[in-house]
Amino acid sequence: MTSYFVRRFLLILPTFIGVTILVFTLTRLVPGGPIERMLNEAALAGAEGGAAVSSGFDGRGGSVLSDEQIEQLKRYYGFDKPVVLSYFDWLGKVATLDLGTSTRYTEPVWETIKSRLPISIFYGVATLILTYGVCIPLGIVKAIKHKTAFDNVSSALVFFGYAIPSYVVGIACLTLFAANLEWFPLSGFVSDDFDDLSTFGKALDILDHAALPLIAYLAGSFAVTTMLMKNSLMDNLAADYVRTAIAKGMAFRKAVFAHACRNSLIPLATSFGNTITLVITGSFLIEKIFNIDGFGLLGFESLVERDYPVVMGILVISSLLFLIGNILSDICVAFVDPRVKFGSGGSNQ
Amino acid sequence: MSLLNLNPQTIKQLKRFKSIKRGYWSAILLAVLLALCLIAELLVNSRALMVSYEGEWYFPTYTALNPGTAFGLDYEYETNYRELRAKFEEQDQGNWVLMPPVPYNAFENDLKVGSYPPNPPSLEDEHYLGTDSTGRDILARLVYGFRIAIAFSGLLLTFNYVAGIIIGCAMGYFGGAFDLLFQRVIEIWSNIPFLYVIMIVASVVVPSFLTLVIVMAALGWMQLTWNMRTSTYKEKSREYVSAARALGAGNVRIVGSHILPNTIAVIVTFVPFSIASGVTFLTALDYLGFGLPPPTPSWGELLSQGTNQLQAPWIVTSVVVAMVVVLLMVTYVGEAIREAFDPKQFTYYE
Repeated sequence: MTSYFVRRFLLILPTFIGVTILVFTLTRLVPGGPIERMLNEAALAGAEGGAAVSSGFDGRGGSVLSDEQIEQLKRYYGFDKPVVLSYFDWLGKVATLDLGTSTRYTEPVWETIKSRLPISIFYGVATLILTYGVCIPLGIVKAIKHKTAFDNVSSALVFFGYAIPSYVVGIACLTLFAANLEWFPLSGFVSDDFDDLSTFGKALDILDHAALPLIAYLAGSFAVTTMLMKNSLMDNLAADYVRTAIAKGMAFRKAVFAHACRNSLIPLATSFGNTITLVITGSFLIEKIFNIDGFGLLGFESLVERDYPVVMGILVISSLLFLIGNILSDICVAFVDPRVKFGSGGSNQ
Repeated sequence: MSLLNLNPQTIKQLKRFKSIKRGYWSAILLAVLLALCLIAELLVNSRALMVSYEGEWYFPTYTALNPGTAFGLDYEYETNYRELRAKFEEQDQGNWVLMPPVPYNAFENDLKVGSYPPNPPSLEDEHYLGTDSTGRDILARLVYGFRIAIAFSGLLLTFNYVAGIIIGCAMGYFGGAFDLLFQRVIEIWSNIPFLYVIMIVASVVVPSFLTLVIVMAALGWMQLTWNMRTSTYKEKSREYVSAARALGAGNVRIVGSHILPNTIAVIVTFVPFSIASGVTFLTALDYLGFGLPPPTPSWGELLSQGTNQLQAPWIVTSVVVAMVVVLLMVTYVGEAIREAFDPKQFTYYE
């Protein structure tokens, strides 16, 4: 078992290198990088209304920069070396926890990312707590009250959340509750006058801003988790050991909570680690919709602005989180279910 | 093959599917919508369905464009049939124009003097859902956007299924080193942050329809592959496979005509959910601006306009309602198929 997890952790490295090589090469080989953007901007500013500015290195005719300056720029961004060399340069720096400098903010990438992380973590943790806090009890009640009115009504709701992607829920909420009814603020993480508020006011302000995004985040994970809980509890209720317990005179209630529930939590554990990743990947859309200055919005903006050091930095962090999240899921499963043996028979799950 | 002449099992599954009313009716409704989409040019178009001009009949929908001079107008470019209709009505000489129910296409900017787009829905202008921020008809863009999204999902599905079925079956059937190799590949591949990598790719190469499908298929083939592997692996150890082998059937025959029909449940159950996720993903990418290049009509692009123009709620409302309706129906169908193929009965002891 231990050797399995050691192997999993060692596998992070090749996977990580594979993913980053892929993306790194892409950002280098294709036109539209930071230098060309600068050239285009310079050319646009220089020759207003002049001939069309062509993208690509060959369209340097209207450029206001000399070849020498361009060489300097290339050296500055590390574009003067072959892709392989500059990749290993970059990888060496990453190994020493140096993610480079943002071409847009001209500050270290790590600083840029770090300043956004608390917001994303806040939403991630809040979503996690809400999801498990709501879905597990709801799943249990739905399983026990299977095919009753309560089950059917809540199923309709759950089904809705399952079919509709969370960003559509987000956009609908934004339009209805923020723009039309004006119950909630339109965007942002806190109000402009946040610093002047009292502690209570601050908390209220954050909640006010967080309500709609949290609904959207919840909509994404709500349905799957609830149904997983319900179905696995129902599977367990139909299992022989519960029948035995009840045949021996155990109260139904006790059989559910003492025996069936514990075993039903196992499938939930498989998705636990992935919630870490959800914090990152799920947030591109929702952070963009609600204009929340978090990790996802940063990733989106840096892509739009062709700020490749930041793009790569975000890729590094999100793929590491992804990898660790997956392993964490497996550890969780092994932890709650002593029958699971990874490594030997685990490959045919 | 047993798939074509329906065997009792398939008939039973079809009956079960029909008995799940929600799913059955959603399937019919979706089929109707898809059929209407195929002939969208007849329903939503700036070209007339039929023009009667000086005793002659014209059907401009699918033909080459008719210059304005063909109908006695003074310009060489394509006839504006809405203006032609108004003119004919005014002249009242027995000429007439029959327009489609929505007389706009997805690309033209219908700008009115004295009002700035987006314009609210109006029966009088025949913009039944209003116009977007450049004056294009929202209903037209919804319909054509739906068609593109469905075509996109269908193609993506085909790519994923071809890869998934071939690789998955081979993994499960041959096992051994091949299986191990692809297990590792899948493991590495599924650790790629899907959405972000697609966004990166789309930001460096402005994607065309086909490149976007290929990129998404390249990153999304794993799930079906994994499921096919598992079910092939299970079927492989059944007696009928040994029997076929004892009779001298080759590998291709065993997999193709014996194992594959028995894994049909896996293949079919995934179809509706793959379609839904294809539509969802394309819309998300378009919303973020990393999808199909403008001016391609797309739901995502409308959503993004709508969230930037919150004072024009008809934009967001139209798209959200359309998405909710379509995705709900697709999911109903999916649930019904799943239930038809795998009726899970629960027993209680209370």
